[in-house]
Amino acid sequence: MPAVDIRSLEDLAEPELVEACRAGRPGAFDLVVERHRRAVYLLCYRFVGTHEDASDLSQDVFLRAFRGLRSFRGQSTLATWLYRIGVNVCLNRVSAKDTLRRLTTPIEAQQFVDVRAELPSDLMLRNERNARVRAAIARLPRKQRATLILRTYHEMSHQEIADVLGSSVGAVKANFFHALGSLKKLLGETP
Amino acid sequence: MTMHLASEDLVDIAEGTRSEASAQHLAACDSCRERLIDLRSMMSVAKDVDVPEPSPLFWDHLSSRVSAAVAAEASVPQPNRWSDRLTALAGVRAVQAIFVLAASLLLVFAINRRLPVPPVAEAPVLTTAETGADPLVVTADEDASLTVVASLTDGQDLETVREAGLAPRGSAEHAVTQLSDSELRELRRLLNEELARSGA
Repeated sequence: MPAVDIRSLEDLAEPELVEACRAGRPGAFDLVVERHRRAVYLLCYRFVGTHEDASDLSQDVFLRAFRGLRSFRGQSTLATWLYRIGVNVCLNRVSAKDTLRRLTTPIEAQQFVDVRAELPSDLMLRNERNARVRAAIARLPRKQRATLILRTYHEMSHQEIADVLGSSVGAVKANFFHALGSLKKLLGETP
Repeated sequence: MTMHLASEDLVDIAEGTRSEASAQHLAACDSCRERLIDLRSMMSVAKDVDVPEPSPLFWDHLSSRVSAAVAAEASVPQPNRWSDRLTALAGVRAVQAIFVLAASLLLVFAINRRLPVPPVAEAPVLTTAETGADPLVVTADEDASLTVVASLTDGQDLETVREAGLAPRGSAEHAVTQLSDSELRELRRLLNEELARSGA
């Protein structure tokens, strides 16, 4: 009979927390969600550009993670594994066309977004600039887009990105280089 | 003049993991310097795009949504391995039954093709004694299509047909599936006799 771990979930190291999830220990998966929800949400937001869609996709990522926990072998960190699921969910669910359509939604109209600390004129300028760049990123090829997002906004190492995307470090650097080149070209095209 | 810097080298220099001084080519190549400047500029442009911070309440809201979805997922009974196997088995049986049906159709087609019914007035009266063989018996050796049929039906039985639902209760097919081996042999003999008599 396996020994019962009576330590608080908060005290468990990551592999033990994963094991607690697999064993169905109450609250274990909630803690995984709590620890990674921000990173997953931000990743999804970078792909879809709206709060509502990012929320839906985040939920989907965690649900898939819950289903797949038994197959998680701990060869990468839980964060990297969740990023991998997140990138797959985002790339599969969201086409560039969808993202461009979503980006037309005014950010200030979105629920939950806190915009109280900014002047309206500054906010408008910033939104306009951000929307142009986001729209350009949304038009990048899938792997370039994923590489740019993971490297620029999640500060993942090239090796971690290679693990997430299932490619080599050299390919990740090349993708990053070409993504930035394409971004310059696309921003040059926008009026 | 050395070759231009590779994209990987330019990324390393732009990110600062490699010093510019280590790439002597840069000092002499306007093109590579320009690419490096563009790279750094676009990294900065991309970096400046922030994500609007959700309300602090949102995180608990997201956790609740995930928790509810996970609870709903966990409450759905998972298929056990036995039911999976049964489903798979049923699938195999169905395929086998389809083969049996196709083989039967092929057999009927082959017999009809080989033995066209002649006009009654001109029909020669042949007996087994005259020909030395049963005219209705077409063996697999004589017809390649029957070889295919024989191979398809090999190992198939009425049990397969019944399990695949092709012999509903009350049908003639169902009645056949209820016969014993000796009864089936007798039925086969009677049918052959009847077929021979009718000249089909």
